Amino acid sequence: MTRNRRRLIVLLACGLGLGSASGLSLWALSSDVAFFSSPSQLLHEPPGPGRSVRLGGLVVAGSVRRTTEDGKPAASFRVTDGAAAVTVNFIGILPDLFREGQGVVTLGSLAPDGTFRAQEVLAKHDETYMPKEVAEALKKSGHWNPEKGPPPPASTWNTLSVPAAEANAKSGG
Amino acid sequence: MTHLTYIMAAYGIAVVVAGGFAVDAWARMGRARRRLAAIDPRGRR
Amino acid sequence: MNENVLNAGRTGSAGAWLHRFANPGRFLRLVRPALPWLAVFSVVITATGLVWGFGFAPADWQQGDASRIMYVHVPSAWVAMAGYAALAGCSFFSIVWRHPLADLAAEEIGPVGAGFTFVCLVTGSLWGKPMWGAYWVWDARLTSVLVLFFLYLGHIALVRAFDSPERGARAGAILALVGVVNLPVIKFSVDWWNTLHQTATITLTGSPTMYVGMLWPLLFSALGMSFGFAAIVVARTRAGVMERRIRGLLMARAQQEAGGRLDMAA
Repeated sequence: MTRNRRRLIVLLACGLGLGSASGLSLWALSSDVAFFSSPSQLLHEPPGPGRSVRLGGLVVAGSVRRTTEDGKPAASFRVTDGAAAVTVNFIGILPDLFREGQGVVTLGSLAPDGTFRAQEVLAKHDETYMPKEVAEALKKSGHWNPEKGPPPPASTWNTLSVPAAEANAKSGG
Repeated sequence: MTHLTYIMAAYGIAVVVAGGFAVDAWARMGRARRRLAAIDPRGRR
Repeated sequence: MNENVLNAGRTGSAGAWLHRFANPGRFLRLVRPALPWLAVFSVVITATGLVWGFGFAPADWQQGDASRIMYVHVPSAWVAMAGYAALAGCSFFSIVWRHPLADLAAEEIGPVGAGFTFVCLVTGSLWGKPMWGAYWVWDARLTSVLVLFFLYLGHIALVRAFDSPERGARAGAILALVGVVNLPVIKFSVDWWNTLHQTATITLTGSPTMYVGMLWPLLFSALGMSFGFAAIVVARTRAGVMERRIRGLLMARAQQEAGGRLDMAA
């Protein structure tokens, strides 16, 4: 066996060991690596009273109520992961991207009544990028309601021509 | 255009960093070539 | 070529081919005519992609014009990761086949890769503030890219920390290879864990969830920046080869002069 071949084998063995070690440790730490918990996780394993946690999910359509509290804007909405939902109360200005059906990540604690009191609300946007005209066309034609869920398969819209989409949107078809 | 300051800052930093590396690499190459030609007239490459 | 003579004795079959292909002298001859073309091509393509993205591509229906930050953020992230893969590839050749050009290239990739990772982090931050509502969060994607930045910085410091360049290159190569585990962590962090960062738009399995009028400028910008990275690294490596030759010549000359003086003294 040449020295080059020996070095190659030692290196590959080290890589294999290092790779599996880091894979296993990341897997073991996955709950700490996660940036937020889903409503199901939060309800299944409630954090201690007053403990600060992050709750993330989609804003339930029709659940947003905007009020004012002591002259400051406030909001109440439900956050869901499809299996469970938690009511979130927040005093402050919501991010621009906040809307029904949008992903959000909130930092706060679980109150004794089961609602979540948030100190911070971040908007989580998804991986779709589409021009306004295309989004309008999909909404008008009934192919997509952004408040209800994710957009239709990308191949149905990512090459739609914008003038055609605009015409579609105008005619309401 | 909305958020123009953020957009301009992002494009600016990309152009400045990439351009800076390019100019530095070019200058380093020129310096090394001149230096090499000065001390070793045969080794023109 | 004195490099050929030096290397001929200790290379296997795969190594011999590699050495023949990539010895420093041949590298210089190969690269000199190609470099201006590479530079011009990358500048033209990058400028096309960025101008297209900044001024002509449609804005996103939700994010508005802030989505234009994508055209610098995403390519710089891709280049930062591809650059690290190249650094690891050089380190692999350096450790297994002890190739001097691989050491030189690795030393020059480090700072450029760190620069592009810095651009990725800063532009991401500038995108996060108006869209998410925060410049920075400690989610798995952002944290793993910060780790990539520190790996680059560590490599830069380590290869220059030794008196003998060979030992520096060896230590740097080991660090670079250990750091490779971070690449799949960056790529899949958004799939494996809950993150604030969104998941991938462009995947191997499905149609990209991006309008085609935004995809083209992104691809131009990514192609241009990749070639730009390559051009910068090749230019720096070329300078590095010449600088090493200068050091060698000066050292030989100094030794000759010292020897001459000794002769005279005797």
